[in-house]
Amino acid sequence: MKKLFKMVAALTALCFLGIFQTAQAKDLTGELEIFSWWAGDEGPALEALIDVYKKEHPGVEVINATVTGGSGVNAKAVLKTRMLGGNPPDSFQVHAGQELIGTWVMADRMEDLTPLFEEQGWMSVFPEGLIKLIGTDKGIWSVPVNIHRSNVMWYIPSKLKEFGIEAPKTWDDFLKVAPMLKEKGIVPLALAQNWTANHLWESVALASLGAKKWDALWSGELAFDSPEGVAVWELFGKVLEYTNDDASSLSWQQATDMVVDGRAAFNVMGDWAAGYLSTTKGLAPGTGFGWEASPGTGGEFMFLADSFGLPKGVKNLDNAKAWLVTLGSKEGSDAFNPLKGSISARTDSDLSKYNDYAKSAAADFAKDTIVGSLAHGVTANEGFMNDFASVMEMFLKSKNAQMTAKAAQQIAVKNGIAK
Amino acid sequence: MAQVKLNNVVKNYGNVKVVHGADLLIDDSEFIVLVGPSGCGKSTILRMIAGLETISGGEIVIGDQVVNRVSPKDRNVAMVFQNYALYPHMTVRENMAFGLKMAKEPRDIIEKKVNQAAATLELGPYLDRKPAALSGGQRQRVAMGRAIVRQPDVFLFDEPLSNLDAQLRTQMRMELKKLHLQFKTTTIYVTHDQIEAMTLADRIVILKDGYIQQVGSPIEVFERPANVFVAQFIGNPPMNIIKGKCTRVNGAMTLVAGDLSLQLPEDKYQDIAEGKSVLIGIRPDGIKVRDVEHRIREEWRKEATVNVAEILGGQSLLELNISNNRFIAEVEGRMKLHPGDKVTVGFELDRVVLFDPETTEAIA
Amino acid sequence: MREVSRDRIKAFLTLLPSIVLIGIFVYGFIGNTIWISLTDWGGVAALAEHPVKHFIGIQNYVDLFTGFLEGRFRQDMVNAVFYSVSLLAGAVGLGMFIAILLDRKPKGEDFLRTVFLYPMSLSFIVSGTIWRWMLAPQGGVNILPTYAGFKPLTFKWLSAKTTVLAFNWQNLLQIGLYLVAVITIIIGFIVYRNSRSKSVKWLAIGALSGLTAWIGGDMLPKALILEEIHGFNLATLGIIMATIWQYSGYTMALYLAGFNGISQDLHDAAMLDGASTSAYYTHIAIPMLKPITISAVIILSHISLKMFDLIFSMTGPDNAETGHPALNMYLTTFRANEFARGASIAIVLFLLAATFIIPYLITQYKQRRTR
Repeated sequence: MKKLFKMVAALTALCFLGIFQTAQAKDLTGELEIFSWWAGDEGPALEALIDVYKKEHPGVEVINATVTGGSGVNAKAVLKTRMLGGNPPDSFQVHAGQELIGTWVMADRMEDLTPLFEEQGWMSVFPEGLIKLIGTDKGIWSVPVNIHRSNVMWYIPSKLKEFGIEAPKTWDDFLKVAPMLKEKGIVPLALAQNWTANHLWESVALASLGAKKWDALWSGELAFDSPEGVAVWELFGKVLEYTNDDASSLSWQQATDMVVDGRAAFNVMGDWAAGYLSTTKGLAPGTGFGWEASPGTGGEFMFLADSFGLPKGVKNLDNAKAWLVTLGSKEGSDAFNPLKGSISARTDSDLSKYNDYAKSAAADFAKDTIVGSLAHGVTANEGFMNDFASVMEMFLKSKNAQMTAKAAQQIAVKNGIAK
Repeated sequence: MAQVKLNNVVKNYGNVKVVHGADLLIDDSEFIVLVGPSGCGKSTILRMIAGLETISGGEIVIGDQVVNRVSPKDRNVAMVFQNYALYPHMTVRENMAFGLKMAKEPRDIIEKKVNQAAATLELGPYLDRKPAALSGGQRQRVAMGRAIVRQPDVFLFDEPLSNLDAQLRTQMRMELKKLHLQFKTTTIYVTHDQIEAMTLADRIVILKDGYIQQVGSPIEVFERPANVFVAQFIGNPPMNIIKGKCTRVNGAMTLVAGDLSLQLPEDKYQDIAEGKSVLIGIRPDGIKVRDVEHRIREEWRKEATVNVAEILGGQSLLELNISNNRFIAEVEGRMKLHPGDKVTVGFELDRVVLFDPETTEAIA
Repeated sequence: MREVSRDRIKAFLTLLPSIVLIGIFVYGFIGNTIWISLTDWGGVAALAEHPVKHFIGIQNYVDLFTGFLEGRFRQDMVNAVFYSVSLLAGAVGLGMFIAILLDRKPKGEDFLRTVFLYPMSLSFIVSGTIWRWMLAPQGGVNILPTYAGFKPLTFKWLSAKTTVLAFNWQNLLQIGLYLVAVITIIIGFIVYRNSRSKSVKWLAIGALSGLTAWIGGDMLPKALILEEIHGFNLATLGIIMATIWQYSGYTMALYLAGFNGISQDLHDAAMLDGASTSAYYTHIAIPMLKPITISAVIILSHISLKMFDLIFSMTGPDNAETGHPALNMYLTTFRANEFARGASIAIVLFLLAATFIIPYLITQYKQRRTR
């Protein structure tokens, strides 16, 4: 019996390997439909990636199906209706982590990519912490194409000099200088519409809890309404006092503008802000604008990643697999990321192609503790994220840490994160 | 109640003049009818009196007030429209009360006045209906009721009967007349129907192309029309008009038209220039066929050939050829005649009217 | 007879395709949505190829109105009510006002009519984006006074945190009773002029429910365990303004067409009856256009209940101050994957819209019967 099982397992593995090998060997034809929300600034990066794919597989006609709309709200809805209707695209963009796992893996809609990872040797080129977060005990579910960092605090060095302060290392440091800034009529920390509040919250929470307890929170070992959980909201409430009160009508770019104009001192935003500051605002990384890990999170890299997965029952399986291979390849990822303003998930990428910010981020990514982002779909499923928006609203309105922590625990239970 | 005076009233629409200096004095309690073909300016004059049109020149006086710049609501006039203009969303009661309500009369007085008017017009059973649930005649009464309740100085009627069928029209005409006798309110009534004009009016004003043609009592305008237009507009069938000449025959002034010659009565048109061309106007009922011998002087009797004969119940219409002139005659009684029949006719030449062929005005 | 029946068959055959399509795609799907709303479809495996659904009765609805975590839905409902009422009052009022101005036939009436109607032709996404810029805290509307030398406004059109007319959702029953009392008493006074006995009935109902609410007070059952404050968020003012801007041109067109349809004689008759211009409109023209007002109210009310794109483009998905049930439905369904919960929100909205439309249809039907 055991023997038989082993044989079947081996055969299955062989089969998989076989398929992947044939996928490599065959001259591919037909179509490949890629579904994403990369239409705006990210469009050229995606085009570059598609060009790499086309060079390798000239016989495949690539259909670039994009649905616009910030952070993919609309694209995800379209994708869901397509999947429910039994018409999955060959490969689709999804935030790596629980956003993929909670929605699609739990519903048994994805193929396990472990054989692909092994075959391509990705197990060693992607950081171990990353692979853990994009997989479950049953497999690995997507190929990450880029890495962004969430816990970054941005500032303008010349302005800080003017204000006579330095970038705070901890939130305590921040809370020390903040009243002084506020007195001068400068907003200590620029905030934008509501999702940026979630974004700030995760940086504050990571600082308050540390990487271990942060992970414990998401594995259900630490309750949201534990004393540590409540402390997060208390700290968050204190930080919020030093943010602008028109936040919810600003876009994140407008909040960043406040920092550039000197109306605000700092801004916590993901590292896509680097692209905005250098390209749109024309500031030089390091001198024109500066950055630090957000207070209290030095040595921790809170990541988010876009990735592509392989839905079950696609029409052009071979083409889709070849696409995933391109995504994970060094060539593909180094074509895409410099344009997107992100870093490669591979630890062996060619850093000469990247700008100064990316180089420093890549260095951190290689050595820091890697944790997942909540606001961008790594640590919690979509149900939790949706409910968390309401919890955040509750806090913004009531400023009641105890009650909010309770509510957060309730939604964690409801969404299967805590017991 | 009030007198209405029009002094040289003019109305232009841009460069188009539609009323050319109308002068008219309407006495207190008078029933005056403005009549004329469409486009003659009669409705415009009425609307200027009502204040619904601005006055381009001249002045209108109601009572002793010049009203040129007075808004309609302050003129104390009431108007009945051709299509009644009832407020469709209000009941009969509300329609009639609306003017009083606008005048802020106390509620019980409104109630009383409306009920009175409704009784006069026999509208009692319909007070709570909406106009859509009424017949044409009933709507007409409501429109009148709405005018009556306000006890205005002047009633204005704009072709109020023309949407009714013939029978109802005659009946309502009578009632209108009765109402006027009862209330004695100065009334200005616009119509294109000369029968309404003849039956209702104390005086008729005949208009054409924005000019007043004649003002006079119904008999006056019928018997002594001021010009060919009035002669043909008033009376149905219209007056016979034929071209002729005045000549003295045996010392007597005689009208000659082709082979026809008619001696004028001794008291008429004797000072007319001899040989003058004239238009001869003879009313159809001024040509007699029956009892001619008894009624008509001999020199006014002629031989005629019947072209067509129509019997209209009590009367007959004949188209006659009299010495190569075509005449229409309206004859009492049923005349059973056939084309080609010869009859003797008599002209009531004491009623003849002569017109100047150049100006078409009547010759004095 | 035979001719008639053949005509009927032809008519039926012509209508058949649309009957079938509407049957399936409208009523079938409404039924399906109702069914889904009575299940527990949602959560982690919601998007499985054959998702497991259990029948749970009206639990979703109970949760929506009383569940601890659905406070957001309740605020959205409150928003929707205030939003609808303000939109109706604003768009009907402003549209009527502009129509009256244009009905006075000013110079360039045609041009002005197009100007006022134009916003209608914009997509909500476009106008929403424009208004978002206009209402930005440091721009647009707020800096208008500076052109006249005044201080700029500081009102946060889309992010004000102030709530007025706040009430505790716990006391929903009591508030409802008070509302009933106020409305029935008002009806009672209106009816008084026509029929005393009916009026007394209305007044009695009003007094009774008012008394129950007043005396019953704390003894009335609570809708929630915890206190939960909802009210009219001033942040929705910006959205209300934008919607009124977009729709008043439409109501203007409706009213203008209606005013043009009123015969000149009626206007003249009213003038002679002593009505001023304003009395003409209040007593004659506007009451005569009651059917237009009713259709405008119905169209606008269900537009406001379905409003999505404008709010989405103005304040984004997670701005509870300006939230709307339609937005909530979309996010609950397609972001949180709670399909059953989303369906129940959809059905609540559907029923709300029906409360506007069904009475209208019934009166229309009755009118046609009596005609």
